[in-house]
Amino acid sequence: MLAQFLIHPPIQLGPIGPELVLTGTAIVVLLGAAFNPRIGHSTLLLVSLLGLAGAALVSIGLWDWGGELTVLAGMVATDRFAVVARLILLGIAAMGLVYGYHYFRRSGEARAEFYPLVLFATAGMTLIAAAADLILVFLALEILSLSLYVLTGISARLSSVEGSMKYFLLGAFSSAFFLYGVAMAYGATGSTRLSAIAHALAGQTGSLGLALAAVAFLGIGFGFKVAAVPFHMWTPDVYQGAPTPVTAFMAAGTKVAAFAALIRVLETSFQPLTLDWTPLVWTIAAVTVVAGSLIAIAQTDIKRMLAYSSIAHAGFVLIALTAAGQDGISAALFYLLAYALMVLGAFGVVMLVSARGEGRTSLASYAGLYRRSRLLAGLLTLFLLSLAGIPPTAGFIAKVNVFRAAVAAGHWPLVLVGVLASVVAAFFYIRVMVLMYMQEPQDDAEPDRSPWPRVAVAVPAVLTLLFGVFPGIVLGVLDKAAILRW
Amino acid sequence: MLSEYLPIAVLATLAVLFGVASLGVSALLRPNRPTRAKLAPYECGIEPARLPAGERFPVKFYVVAMLFIIFDIETIFLFPWAVGFRQLGLFGLAEMAVFIALVFVAYVYVWKSGGLDWREPAPRRAAAAPPTALEPEAREVVRAG
Amino acid sequence: MAPDQIVFWVFAPVSVGSAVAMLFQRNAIHAALFLIVNFFTLAVFYLVLGAPFLFAVQIIVYAGAIMVLFLFVIMLLGVDREESLVERLRGQRPLAIVLGLGLAAEIFVTARASLGLARGPANFDETVNVGGNAQALSHVLFRDYFLPFEVTSILLIVAAIAAMVLAQRRERTTVEAAGEAEV
Repeated sequence: MLAQFLIHPPIQLGPIGPELVLTGTAIVVLLGAAFNPRIGHSTLLLVSLLGLAGAALVSIGLWDWGGELTVLAGMVATDRFAVVARLILLGIAAMGLVYGYHYFRRSGEARAEFYPLVLFATAGMTLIAAAADLILVFLALEILSLSLYVLTGISARLSSVEGSMKYFLLGAFSSAFFLYGVAMAYGATGSTRLSAIAHALAGQTGSLGLALAAVAFLGIGFGFKVAAVPFHMWTPDVYQGAPTPVTAFMAAGTKVAAFAALIRVLETSFQPLTLDWTPLVWTIAAVTVVAGSLIAIAQTDIKRMLAYSSIAHAGFVLIALTAAGQDGISAALFYLLAYALMVLGAFGVVMLVSARGEGRTSLASYAGLYRRSRLLAGLLTLFLLSLAGIPPTAGFIAKVNVFRAAVAAGHWPLVLVGVLASVVAAFFYIRVMVLMYMQEPQDDAEPDRSPWPRVAVAVPAVLTLLFGVFPGIVLGVLDKAAILRW
Repeated sequence: MLSEYLPIAVLATLAVLFGVASLGVSALLRPNRPTRAKLAPYECGIEPARLPAGERFPVKFYVVAMLFIIFDIETIFLFPWAVGFRQLGLFGLAEMAVFIALVFVAYVYVWKSGGLDWREPAPRRAAAAPPTALEPEAREVVRAG
Repeated sequence: MAPDQIVFWVFAPVSVGSAVAMLFQRNAIHAALFLIVNFFTLAVFYLVLGAPFLFAVQIIVYAGAIMVLFLFVIMLLGVDREESLVERLRGQRPLAIVLGLGLAAEIFVTARASLGLARGPANFDETVNVGGNAQALSHVLFRDYFLPFEVTSILLIVAAIAAMVLAQRRERTTVEAAGEAEV
């Protein structure tokens, strides 16, 4: 009896290598800035970016992992899905760091803690993408949420602190639901390992009622993180109140990470219950795309508009999830990649148009943007076209893939709802374009003309076009990654 | 099983009884002649002072409380670890060392970035004056500290 | 009646009573004191259910640390502060009551329906708590769940950063505000 306690689980640190590199870099940056308060923020940025690059290299090294399916006592999955999700997240973090460095330097609110917080949040995000145990999913979710609550309130502006408070209160509430769901899953099956839950449910040894309740409660927790209706109430206030680079990082990163975890939980643990949860996802997807698109029309602030648009986009990813299996996962992954690119780009342009701090985010400030900066107007047009799903952008291919997967699974009424919502959504994206090109400028405020941030914003623009014209270059990789191994 | 906790229950009961009894007995026996000084709460000999309505405590107290919780939670993990230490062996020792080292990072960070410094003037609690007679400068100090 | 049942029936009314009393207190300090009572009764329930580790956690973390934090926050905000109890959103309260009752009913029905299907061991105490609760817990926590355990330390680091970032900044702004007031 005692002898078995002496045996410890085999320790293979390779599959959590990216997280080790990220947290290590975060600690170095944190302590470096604490010991030397006068350290240049460009140094902190450089070290952080090196950490992200290192984590990306380690992730790529995991693509051909030949070892076990899960390591570290079944906690971490080693599949290619985790690799791809990590790479997307690391790219998002790099963009967020570059934006943040520029933004806080101009607004005079620079704080050294920004860099380690983003790195810790990223470590939480990448960990959640690979977590193969509900407890680990919960902890990773908490790490990323806690970091984001603070990042939201890192500026001294009242709206920033208010957004942080709202995000924290509602986020803590949703975490409680998630944890209750974990407890129910354990109660139903006697384990928190995703694979063990799946085996118990497939073998019908678990309690079905509790398992369904677990799906519902976990769904509430995830629904909050991905901002699906009716758990979206926090999104507009938080996206508007947070400093723009944080909004960009949060909008792209949280969505990708939470969806990666949601996909893994639904497609492994509760895969035996697919017929039970599909109607649930179906309904939430329909409500989310419709509500997100309709409420966005009434917005007069571009950050709020983009927030509602991000709610609608969560709905489109959910449509992909109704098509269970490789097709659905691949479509969802491509959608998340395209969404991350366009939302990073769009918020990047918002940051540059505001020039300093949060001065000009009302839609009126975009009147006649074309006269003031052709480049920014052009970039924003591209991102808005992609958000609306108009060719030749990545957003178009993403929507087509999602709809195709859903139709193949027989959910054509949902696709119809999605198409109609896209048409409605196109209206408010095009309205911004009309403002930019066809109206006279209302003020002669200069947008930010610093060269490097423009280069940074151009990166997602180039990729949006590239993946829109030649989607094949990533679709092959995503298809290979869309198989969850457990 | 619960019988193991009987001594604790007995002790708790005795403590409550002692408290109630001493208050009750003294209420019955003592002469009742209250003065202002006698009714004031005991604060180690310092004359008690209230912050004026609407004033707040410095947020440093909150940081300290928060840090207390963080290290309290660390301690909680030490409890089952200590109980199972012999069976966990070297692996247990290593994992607890890593855990403590990581939490120590938090401590070093807080220490180095001045979270534990109390050098700024602590709120002068207007030692002699009654609360309503706080001078304007003292109010400013309370707010700034 | 078994001793654990007697303990339960002694502490259950105290638990519910203190919870209700906490809700109806106007003074935040009094509410916090009732909460402490409630925490202690919960700790006793954990003991009755065979979870002495949770009992210790409940006393050390909740009745100890969390309560300290509560009291500090109350003092930070000012004890005398009266909160406005007027609802900003009309119809929110009845809606919340209806939905809350719905959720409670749902959980009740689910739990009830699953009880018949549950295949868990009836003698939970003997099968799970082999060698004592804290020992059993240490074997699970430090062997099967050692990665989540280490990850917790990262969460604690982030919590420390959070406290510093949010508190230090606000302090600076209040100092500035005081400076402006003097000018």
